[in-house]
Amino acid sequence: MNGAENILGRIAALARVFIAIVFLIPLVFTLLVSVRPEAQPVTKGNIFFGSELTAENYERALVIAPWSLHYLNSIIFVAGVLVVQLVTVTGAAYAFARMRFFGRSLLLMVILLQLMIPSGVLLVQNFRMINILGLFDTRVALMIPYWGSAFGVLLLRQTFREVPIELEEAARIDGANLFQVIRHVYVTNAIPAYLAFALVSVSSHWNEFLWPFIITRSQEIRPLTVGLNKLIKTTDQGAFYGQLMAGTLIVIAPLVILFLLFQRQFVESFARSGIR
Amino acid sequence: MRASSRRKPLVALLQPYLLIAPTLVLVLMFNVVPAIRTVNDSLHKPARGLNAAGKPPEFVGTQNFRDLFDHGHYMGSRFLRAFRNTIVFALATVTVGVPLGLLLALLFNHKQPLLGVWRFAVFYPSLLPLIGAASIWSFIFSDSIGLANAVLRSLGHPGLNWLGDRNLVLLSVIVVNIWKQAGYFMIFFLAGLQNIPRDLYEAASLDGAGEMQQFAALTLPLLRRTLLFVIVIAFIFAFQTVEQLQALGEGGPNDSANLLLYLIFQNISERRSWGYVNAMTIVLIGVVLTFTISNFLLFERDEND
Repeated sequence: MNGAENILGRIAALARVFIAIVFLIPLVFTLLVSVRPEAQPVTKGNIFFGSELTAENYERALVIAPWSLHYLNSIIFVAGVLVVQLVTVTGAAYAFARMRFFGRSLLLMVILLQLMIPSGVLLVQNFRMINILGLFDTRVALMIPYWGSAFGVLLLRQTFREVPIELEEAARIDGANLFQVIRHVYVTNAIPAYLAFALVSVSSHWNEFLWPFIITRSQEIRPLTVGLNKLIKTTDQGAFYGQLMAGTLIVIAPLVILFLLFQRQFVESFARSGIR
Repeated sequence: MRASSRRKPLVALLQPYLLIAPTLVLVLMFNVVPAIRTVNDSLHKPARGLNAAGKPPEFVGTQNFRDLFDHGHYMGSRFLRAFRNTIVFALATVTVGVPLGLLLALLFNHKQPLLGVWRFAVFYPSLLPLIGAASIWSFIFSDSIGLANAVLRSLGHPGLNWLGDRNLVLLSVIVVNIWKQAGYFMIFFLAGLQNIPRDLYEAASLDGAGEMQQFAALTLPLLRRTLLFVIVIAFIFAFQTVEQLQALGEGGPNDSANLLLYLIFQNISERRSWGYVNAMTIVLIGVVLTFTISNFLLFERDEND
């Protein structure tokens, strides 16, 4: 190794530490501000030391919104989306991967339109569609636009195609029907793809805000992000940052912890989500 | 399969359509039909006047679009500002965020001590809800007690009004977006780097190429496809990430940091701007579609190589 490369290696090592610190600063300060008494100003020199620790910010944040209810709503929302998606995506992926039928490419093209015109930009008309269906302010309204997933169909179609056709033929000879073939031959052999799809689906819907905010009115069904929005709006400019940071941590904690536990799977899933 | 179709031909014939039906119906209901309706409604204006209730909307042709691109019009001035901001926002995210993502991937590609910690540090922002990330940054940017101003003041600067100064709000929003997405872009570059065969580097270093030369002659050209892909999705995302505005100044003051989708969101409750909201959506769809189609074309071409 020559001298220039040695220097390059040291610069890289420094860059790593520097970048990691810069990226972590917001999280670290959120944590610090959330456990400091609101009355003590965040001035230099006593952000880390010389301040009392308190749980009062958490206590006050907990009063502003019914977080356990919002938690439950978020869980119902992402689970309700995922469970239906798994069914619709599996059926369509099998049909497109292994069946021959009239109009196959055309129908696939129609489904792929979802990737070209994402539901996110169609807020106005989807809002209207939900009103026409009479679903405004219901849990179904929250979930229904996401029940069909072109991304999921593409991902699983690709995976199903890699399953050896001989496995299906063998199962057919043993008398398996279509449902059994899909369940025992294809689903069983595509578990990593399903896991990747589930992680992407859950993390993106857990973070959804605009759609739930527009399409629901009742506290009883609104997810965490909408609760956080309420906290942001009730936090006076510059007055109650401790309580806002405490509330923010309450909301972001589960995904951050989930990521710490399944880091490798997350990274792989997100990589697959892009490489279609 | 052939045997079963001889026994019950109709069921076998219908099977594929039944399997596809749920996805197809949902995509038609929530993507295709709404898109067509957007086009139709963007060419209409709600009926006006005292007896307007119940009257069908009036066909106005391209009037809504002409109003939107008219600086003098009340909605046009808002739209043009948001449109300009959206372009600036997207360009800034791509020109800073994408190279940063590549740099992160190069730094955190090889096995090294604490790799999990490094990757967590740069990737966790992309997992946060946008509104949660914005909430965190609203403290950092806050006028009196914020971190950004504390740093400035320690350097002798009086501090800046990050979320109140019309020249700074958009910059603040851009900083948050880059911080949030660089780690996500990194993931794709990491995947791209793994696909480059190791022996290419071994051969290159046997030939005496240094790390910089290897990067310029090997890594960058071989990452071309990933780079193009990330640039395209970075643009597509930039047009759809607006929720942070909810905690970072709500597009103000005076729309100086408003973004197109957020302006649409703000206007949804105002029934009178229905035609404009749909026309704005068409512009947004047009931009997003341009990028997604180029994505498909790039991808198809590479697949046929």
